[in-house]
Amino acid sequence: MNLEVFLFYAFAVLAIGSALLVVSLKNTARALFLFFITLFSMAGLFLFALADFVAITQIMVYVGGVLILMIFAFMLSNKELLADLQNISGSFISLPNWQSLLLALGFFAVILLGLKEWNNDMPDWMLSNIKSGDIISPNDNNIHQLGIKFMTQYVLPFEVISIFLLMALIGAAHLSRKEDTQ
Amino acid sequence: MGEILLHILVPIVIFGFIALFTLFAVYAERKVAGFVQDRLGPMETGKFGLLQTFADILKLLQKELINPAAADKILFAIAPVIIFVAVFIGYSVVPWAPDFLPADTHTGLFFIMAVVSIDALGILMAGWGSNNKYSLLGSIRAIAQMVSYEIPVGLSLIAAVMITQTLNLNEIAINQGVLSTESIHFLGFWDVSEIGGVFAWNIFQAPHLIVVYVIFFVATLAECNRAPFDIPEAESELIGGFHTEYGGIRFAFVFLAEYAMMFLVAMLGVVIFLGGWNTPFPNIGPVQLADWTTGLVWGIFWTLSKTLLIVGVQMWIRWTLPRFRADQLMNLCWKVMIPIAFACMAISGLWRILVMN
Repeated sequence: MNLEVFLFYAFAVLAIGSALLVVSLKNTARALFLFFITLFSMAGLFLFALADFVAITQIMVYVGGVLILMIFAFMLSNKELLADLQNISGSFISLPNWQSLLLALGFFAVILLGLKEWNNDMPDWMLSNIKSGDIISPNDNNIHQLGIKFMTQYVLPFEVISIFLLMALIGAAHLSRKEDTQ
Repeated sequence: MGEILLHILVPIVIFGFIALFTLFAVYAERKVAGFVQDRLGPMETGKFGLLQTFADILKLLQKELINPAAADKILFAIAPVIIFVAVFIGYSVVPWAPDFLPADTHTGLFFIMAVVSIDALGILMAGWGSNNKYSLLGSIRAIAQMVSYEIPVGLSLIAAVMITQTLNLNEIAINQGVLSTESIHFLGFWDVSEIGGVFAWNIFQAPHLIVVYVIFFVATLAECNRAPFDIPEAESELIGGFHTEYGGIRFAFVFLAEYAMMFLVAMLGVVIFLGGWNTPFPNIGPVQLADWTTGLVWGIFWTLSKTLLIVGVQMWIRWTLPRFRADQLMNLCWKVMIPIAFACMAISGLWRILVMN
């Protein structure tokens, strides 16, 4: 087994194992910190898809931003609320057990079906791309392509996202403003 | 097999360097503090107190590991490792000399920004795991400060990257000296591609990049939690901040991370703004000073000496300026540095389109 395969499975096991622990741990603080390992190993898996930019963005946005915010929200919420949260942890998002089991089994069946349909062959478009040499290699610089695509083909979604972020920023600034004393 | 051995050997060498650097930096810090405060600093252990930090680290290694009874044992034990590793990974993409760097990736700069933000998580983990009011307050202050100051750091880096047009730290360093593949213009009017030296450094490529470097330097000081931005560990109000409960080798790791971070941000500033491993001497006619002083050994020498100079400035500032108050700190970040950084980013874009083409 070469190093790449070993690393891939190591990241996969870490991601799945830590995700299982995150949902099953009673200790919310530890679960939140464990979530970091899930996100980090997901970033590792993105690297194997040659999406290094996405992998780093994952660490930057989720670990540096979202996770810190979640931990802050956890620390600022009061104890009664957290106790309530821990009481309902026996059920799956407030669904009764049998329904959540049904959901999980249904989803698992979809995955199994997909695995059965997949016959180890690459799709035709992939084969034709490999033949014509229209592929990226691990040493390619994807960032230039990404930038060009963002500014040409995907310019509308890109701008919509930036307006959306600006709205969130203004909203946050408005919410945290001092109330007028009358 | 040989390749795997190399992958193991390089981190060990870098770790050894960080440990050695920390030993001497702590000694230098004390001597600088002594000089600024008009006293001698450590003098007893060894000649001029040179063995003082070795004695300190021996003491720390021997100490018992104490777990506070109410602490979250696992989080408490892992936190110093995460804090250190977050900074340590950052070293994997910084170039030391021409084509002499642990990993040559196209996303080097972005990678450093991302992994260094994990540091904040480690500090939060330490503060929460200690189960101590002072630790938690210290870590909350540290996070508020690090998350805020990441924005001016990021914006100033974007302003520089708009000029360099690459995130690859190796290419950024190459394009600031005589080995450059593109033409370099000193302040936009004087072609210095063949002359090199101090004129080719990024900081002189456009006049506003000097301001950008100042913003970067001040904001990274805050990222390292160093004075005058050391309110997370303000001794007079918070005992030791997030590392109040730590002792022995765990405290040593927190300390190691702080000095590793100092060196990392100084080195990053050197690579992006101050020419990286490029020599400060220009080619003057037949006297090819720049060509003579470029190479592997020279590269490492210039990187080290420039970075140590910046670390020296960090120490000088620490012992000269008083500590900021928490609200002053946030005002400086959000009302002064971020607007200026945004303006500089806009100027960078205009500069690239109007002047550099």
